[in-house]
Amino acid sequence: MEPRMNVIETRKLTKYYGKSRGIVDLDMTVEEGEIYGFIGPNGAGKSTTIRTLLGLIHPTGGSATIFGKDITAFGPQIRQEVGYLPSEVFYYDDMRAIDLLRYSASFYSTDPKATEKRAKELAERFDLDLKKKIDDLSYGNKKKVGIIQGLAHRPKLIILDEPTGGLDPLIQQEFFHLLKEQNAEGATVLFSSHILSEVQKLCDRVAIIKEGSIIRVDQIRTLLENATKRLTLEMAAQPDASDFALKGVSDLEFTNHTVSFLYRGHVNDLTGLLSRLDLVDLQVEEPDLEEIFLHYYQKEV
Amino acid sequence: MNVYLRELRAYRKSTITWVISLAGIVGLFMMLYPAFESDVEGLNEVLANFPQAIKSLVNITPETFLSVLGFYGYLLNFAWLAASIQAMNLGVGVISKEVAGKTADFLITRPVRRAQVVTAKLAAALTVVLITSAVFTAVSYLAVVATGASLDEATLLLMASTLLLLQIVFLALGALFSVTIPKIKSVVAVSLPTVFAFYIIGAIGDVLENVELRWVSPFRYFDPAYMIGEGALESEYLLVIAVFTVAAIAATYVIFAKKDIHTAI
Repeated sequence: MEPRMNVIETRKLTKYYGKSRGIVDLDMTVEEGEIYGFIGPNGAGKSTTIRTLLGLIHPTGGSATIFGKDITAFGPQIRQEVGYLPSEVFYYDDMRAIDLLRYSASFYSTDPKATEKRAKELAERFDLDLKKKIDDLSYGNKKKVGIIQGLAHRPKLIILDEPTGGLDPLIQQEFFHLLKEQNAEGATVLFSSHILSEVQKLCDRVAIIKEGSIIRVDQIRTLLENATKRLTLEMAAQPDASDFALKGVSDLEFTNHTVSFLYRGHVNDLTGLLSRLDLVDLQVEEPDLEEIFLHYYQKEV
Repeated sequence: MNVYLRELRAYRKSTITWVISLAGIVGLFMMLYPAFESDVEGLNEVLANFPQAIKSLVNITPETFLSVLGFYGYLLNFAWLAASIQAMNLGVGVISKEVAGKTADFLITRPVRRAQVVTAKLAAALTVVLITSAVFTAVSYLAVVATGASLDEATLLLMASTLLLLQIVFLALGALFSVTIPKIKSVVAVSLPTVFAFYIIGAIGDVLENVELRWVSPFRYFDPAYMIGEGALESEYLLVIAVFTVAAIAATYVIFAKKDIHTAI
């Protein structure tokens, strides 16, 4: 099989805002047809990367291509085939939702009628009243307008910058379905988030960004196998530290009958350990990103 | 074309308001003219007693004031002021409205070059200014001719056309401001003080009889007495307008092309 084309490729992409860091020497490769997760805490440089790729801000160093074309020289051509949804959407208050979607459609070389038809289909799917003024829409409904304007022209590359804020769980699920459909039809997706679980649901590969640089790129499967969980056990009797001598256990703490620890390793080994214990209660939590950074990446980077 | 049409639609209401106001200024003043004309002698005495400072402030020249064109030249001051504010509003809004309304993200992520955005928006603003001036000129002609006074029609049209020239200057200045002043929250808060500042500089220049200050204020580029006397505009000031406008517009394109559009928070 031919190697897949790189839809996005950045080489030492750098952006400083004056003296403060945006991103530094960022190298990223997104292959055609994948759903690429882009994860990191706020301020790590996710939005800076995305906004640079879209031509909203200008890099101070390095270069990047989308569809093999340089982002600074061919911005308008590239954006013909890109759909973008930011975390917060702002549109013209004097327009109705349908006016905004028509206005958006008028920019693309694809037939505006086809784009508008697609927009209406999507509006129906998301149960959005297109006749309403944008000013009168709730935050969640404005977000739906954002989803539709980002996807109606059937872009080959969909760029999402923390898109799920303000979407209720049902709409979020529908939105993820839609993204998977678009992906099955050939669209590449770049999905930035600071929530690990939504990236897990959706993405094939994940890049972890920290302080302006990508520190690790993993298949989501690898990340899951290596994912750290926080366990809190309520024991029937005073716990014995020796019971927890298992590879992958760290941060072990005892407070009376309560034991808490982080676990990273095979789930089967963990359930084996738990089955030997006399438990009153058990809590398994996904650690937040902060903890992953602390307990997983700090050692390796 | 889509951005141009969208802009025009957005300007529709405000344009109607400005056009009616400007036509109103001309209509009202010219209705008063017959009353002035019938009492020429008394007025001449009153004017002679006016302090020179006051006369300078409102651009009254006793020799020409009582001719119909002299009177028109007087009302032109007020029309200039209003039209300049309108033009400056349009100019300042060109880019700053998208940035302040946080819609720049939407617009710039469409497949358009930034230069195309500037061109479309300036073209829409220029269209509005042209419509305003055209209506103003037509209303001026009708109102002045309706007084029945004898006049040189070419001079009248020349005087009316100065409105457009001033509007172009302030449109260009506003556009330059819209890409250079960071975080413009209110267009009027930028345009009103600027226009009034230039007007006052012009007036101060007259009071002090300072020739240099005339160069600073576009409101003093067109002297009614000169226009009536010579039937022409002073070419050195036209040159200043041309050079300034071209430079300001060029700078607008260059600065906006390099500008970072920051996150909408």
